[in-house]
Amino acid sequence: MTAAIEVRDLVVERGKRRVLNSISTTVPRGSVTGLLGPSGSGKTTLMRAIVGVQIVRSGSVLVLGQPAGAAALRRKVGYLTQAPSVYDDLTVRENARYFAALYGYGATAADAAIRDVGLADAAGQLVASLSGGQRSRASLACALLGEPELLILDEPTVGQDPVLRAELWDRFHALAAAGTTLLVSSHVMDEAGRCDRLILIREGAIIADDSPADVRAAAGTTDLEEAFLRLIQEREEAVATPGDRAGSTAVANERQTP
Amino acid sequence: MGSVRAELMKLVRRPAAWLLLAVALVLALTFTYLIPYASYAGGTAGVRTVGGLPAMLPARLVGNSLGGLPVFLGALVLILGVLVVGGEYGWATWKTVLSQGPSRIRVYGAKLAVLAVACLVTVLAVFAAGAGASALIAAAESAPADWPSAGDLAQGVAAGWLIALMWAALGGLLAITLRSVALPIGLGLVWLLAVQNLLAGIAAPLLSWVATAQKGLPGPNAGSLVAALGAADTPGVERLVGAGQATIVLVGYLVGFAILGGAILRRRDVL
Repeated sequence: MTAAIEVRDLVVERGKRRVLNSISTTVPRGSVTGLLGPSGSGKTTLMRAIVGVQIVRSGSVLVLGQPAGAAALRRKVGYLTQAPSVYDDLTVRENARYFAALYGYGATAADAAIRDVGLADAAGQLVASLSGGQRSRASLACALLGEPELLILDEPTVGQDPVLRAELWDRFHALAAAGTTLLVSSHVMDEAGRCDRLILIREGAIIADDSPADVRAAAGTTDLEEAFLRLIQEREEAVATPGDRAGSTAVANERQTP
Repeated sequence: MGSVRAELMKLVRRPAAWLLLAVALVLALTFTYLIPYASYAGGTAGVRTVGGLPAMLPARLVGNSLGGLPVFLGALVLILGVLVVGGEYGWATWKTVLSQGPSRIRVYGAKLAVLAVACLVTVLAVFAAGAGASALIAAAESAPADWPSAGDLAQGVAAGWLIALMWAALGGLLAITLRSVALPIGLGLVWLLAVQNLLAGIAAPLLSWVATAQKGLPGPNAGSLVAALGAADTPGVERLVGAGQATIVLVGYLVGFAILGGAILRRRDVL
C-alpha cells in the first residue's frame, strides 16, 4: 500500500524567503505522525502544501496517491487550521451542523463530532462565549466530520488543559487504529512522545524523520527535547564543517541540504 | 442542494439577518405609512402629507413597497450580501469551508441562492407589512380598499426581487474583492447613500455627460424601474429611463456582479 503522504524535494518560497528548503518525507497510513518544530520553522507551510492550498516553487506532494489539492481528495482530507475556523455568532452545534450539511452529512455526525472533542456540554453555547481551548475544539469537531482518511491538524492541543490534551491524543490514536492517518503539528516537545513517528523541522529543513525511540537513540538521550536540541547542534556543526557530516546525520534527512 | 441547505441553515440562525429584516420593515413602515399618516391625521393645519390619504391606501401598495429599494432597503440588502459572502473572511472560515467540502463555485452559488431566497423574503415581507398598514389606514379612514391586481403585485414583487438581489450581489462582490466585511459595507453604503445622490443632485445638472452616464448606473435604473411601477418621487426614485431599459440594465448588473465575484473567488488564494 502506498504511503498516505509522499513529499519529494519540496521547495516553498514566500517573497524572497525560502520557507521550505527541498524537503522530502513520507507519512505511513494509519499512523499518528508528529510534525514538530519551533514557531516559524515551516510546519504550517508544509501542512498547507499537503492540503493543497499552498503555492509551491518546486517538488511534488502526493496525498493518498493523488496530487495534493486534487478534487478527488476533498472528502478524504480533514484540515484543522491553527486559528479556530468557526463562526462566533453560532453555537457549537450550529457550527458543526452547518459543516456537516456542507459536506453532505447529517445532524447525527455533527453531534458525534462534538462529543468526540468533549464539547457535548457546551454544544448549545455560542462560540463567541467559549474559551480559547474550547473554540479550538469546536474547530476540531468540524475537521473530524465525515471521518476523513487523512487528518491534518495544525496545533490542535494549543490552549488545552493536560487532561483534555491526553483525551485528544487518545482520540487521535483511536482514529489511527481505525485506519485514519493523522499528521499533527506542535511546537511542544512533550507531545512528541505520543506520536508513532516524528518529523522534526527547523528553518524549513527536516532534521529528523523517524520513530520517537529511534530519534532518542540517534541523539543518545531519552529526553526528546534534549534529542531535538542535540540534533540541531549536530546539524549546525555539520553545516559549519561539511566534511564531518557522516557521523551526525543518522536520522537527519539527507535530502534537505541543497 | 447540500450546500444551499447548509447556507440557508446558517443564515436563519444568524441574529444579524433577522435584525436587518426587522430594520427594513420598520424603516419601510415608518417612512411610507407612519410618518405620512401621522402628518395626515394630526399634522399642523394646512400641512398635508404629499399625496394625501390616497398615497397610503391599498391601491398604491406596489409603488409604496418598492420605493425604498433604490436607497435604504437597497443598503440593507447590500449589507446582507456582504455578511453572507464576506462573513467567511471575518470568521476566517473560508479555509475550512473550501478545503474539505464542495468546490468554490458551488459554495459561492449556494450563497447566491440563499441571498436570492433572503431577498425574496425581504420583498414579500415589505409587501405584506405594507398591505397590513394600508388596510389599517383604509379601515381607520373608511376609505376604499382597492387592491392592486395579482398581475401588478407579481410584477412589483419581481421588480423588487431583482433590485434587491442586484444590491446583494454587489455586496457579495465587494466582500470578495476586499476580502473583509467592514470595508465593503462602508464603501457600499457610501456609494449607495452618498455618491449616487451627489451624482444625481449636484453633478448631473452641471455636466451633461454625468447626466448621460448615470442612466447606466444601477441606482438610477433601480429608481427608474420602481418609479415606473408607481413609487412616489422620493430620493433615488426618478424616472430617468424606461422600465424595459432599467430591467435589462439591472439584470446585466446582477449577472455581472455574480460572475465577477465567482471569478475572483475561484482565482484567488483565500487562505
